[in-house]
Amino acid sequence: MRDLYEVELGELETLLREEGELVDRAIRGALNALARDDLELVDELVAFDDEIDSRYLTIEQGIPSLLARQTPVASDLRLVLAILYINLHLERIADYCVTVAKLVKLAQGLPRDAGVLEALAEMGERCREMLGTGLADFHARSARNFEALVDMDRPIDRANRKLIDRLIALGPDEAQREWAMRMILVSRCLERVGDHAVDIGEQAAYLVRGRFEEFTDASHKKSPK
Amino acid sequence: MEAIRTKIDVAGQERLSTSERETVFEARDISVFYGDQRAIDKVSIDIYRRLVTAIIGPSGCGKSTFIRTLNRMTDLVPSARLTGELRYRGIDLYGPGVDAVEVRRRIGMVFQKPNPFPKSIYDNVAYGLRILGMKKDLDERVEKALHSAALWDEVKDRLKDSALGLSGGQQQRLCIARAIAVEPEVILLDEPASALDPIATSAIEDLMHELKRDFTIVIVTHNMQQAARVADMTAFFGLNVTPKGSREGILVEYDNTEKIFTNPSDKRTEGYVTGRFG
Repeated sequence: MRDLYEVELGELETLLREEGELVDRAIRGALNALARDDLELVDELVAFDDEIDSRYLTIEQGIPSLLARQTPVASDLRLVLAILYINLHLERIADYCVTVAKLVKLAQGLPRDAGVLEALAEMGERCREMLGTGLADFHARSARNFEALVDMDRPIDRANRKLIDRLIALGPDEAQREWAMRMILVSRCLERVGDHAVDIGEQAAYLVRGRFEEFTDASHKKSPK
Repeated sequence: MEAIRTKIDVAGQERLSTSERETVFEARDISVFYGDQRAIDKVSIDIYRRLVTAIIGPSGCGKSTFIRTLNRMTDLVPSARLTGELRYRGIDLYGPGVDAVEVRRRIGMVFQKPNPFPKSIYDNVAYGLRILGMKKDLDERVEKALHSAALWDEVKDRLKDSALGLSGGQQQRLCIARAIAVEPEVILLDEPASALDPIATSAIEDLMHELKRDFTIVIVTHNMQQAARVADMTAFFGLNVTPKGSREGILVEYDNTEKIFTNPSDKRTEGYVTGRFG
């Protein structure tokens, strides 16, 4: 029985690894579509989301089945729960990629600002780096980069805020303003991708340390141990 | 405003504050020998009042041996010998002048296989009361015990019927009623549901939840999910193989049940509860 259990746990993790790689490709695709204003790529990205969703659904359906039949406990339970949550985070990131792709389509033909696009590209690359770090920690059963991920997320949050200021300052031209509005949403999507990557790092740390630690803002006091 | 990093430790919270616990048993370096063979080696553990404490571990690790030391059932095995100190409410259970029969009245036991006497349902429960001279209000005591064991509604109209006509699950609850009728403080359960079907098992588990309001419960179980469901505290006993090849039970880890089943501290516990070894 335990051999089958090991195989099933391994399969879930393999699916999650594949899903993570697909989601990274989706972010890269969304960034390329944005940089090149590439409508063909936009359509491909929307279709590509089905690939991610199929992994997501397989994992989501596999977990209740595993819980019901194998009743995992201790580190196995934490692994299953971490897979459950990371699966959800990856699926959300993929949805943000689709949203970015759709915004590229909506912004088609509008006047673009090179500086803003460069800043968004940089935000996107940082998101990819964070996602890669969080997933690598998870697969390596490491919490090494847990706190570094939060530090990596800060410039993304700052860039998001600066971009909004810059986009507002673009001027009164209606077409440019419409493009700016679309790009504010793109920036917001990327900022959320960064947050999900931090959450994935939290799950990796939970798996390793056996206790859940969340980084939050100053309004929340540290809970008693 | 710049986000400030704050760690929130959610799962680290202790459900049961140590200061709120009242110790019933204090076992210190308890070893039990059967002849020359050591069955358990230097077990030290505190068992707390009105909690369910589960003892889990592989076959032969001394779970049953240990639970039997708690009400001096090991006295009944001629070759058995105990070293170490076992205090019950501060009293040395194995000290001079301690009456083993009185110990077993205060610390009752229910076994794996239901073992009702070949008597009526009523007489099974009344038996211990009569023996101990607790004959006043006998009917009320029997009814109260059967209520507490969640059996009254099923048997109230056939108290004079033979207990052997009850189902396995009912027989086991009758044994629990028999144990609690003499008003013990502690109930020891040695794999009480291992011979029962899932519905009867569920009834026993629900009953444990009710009984811990009034009693301290220690349960030996092979069923780890049962321990996870019913116990507040869980002790994992493991096997130590000596250089001479003999196997001795040792206490590996003892903690809140939630900790044992989500994040055990010892690799041996982790291996056992996840089913990888042990």
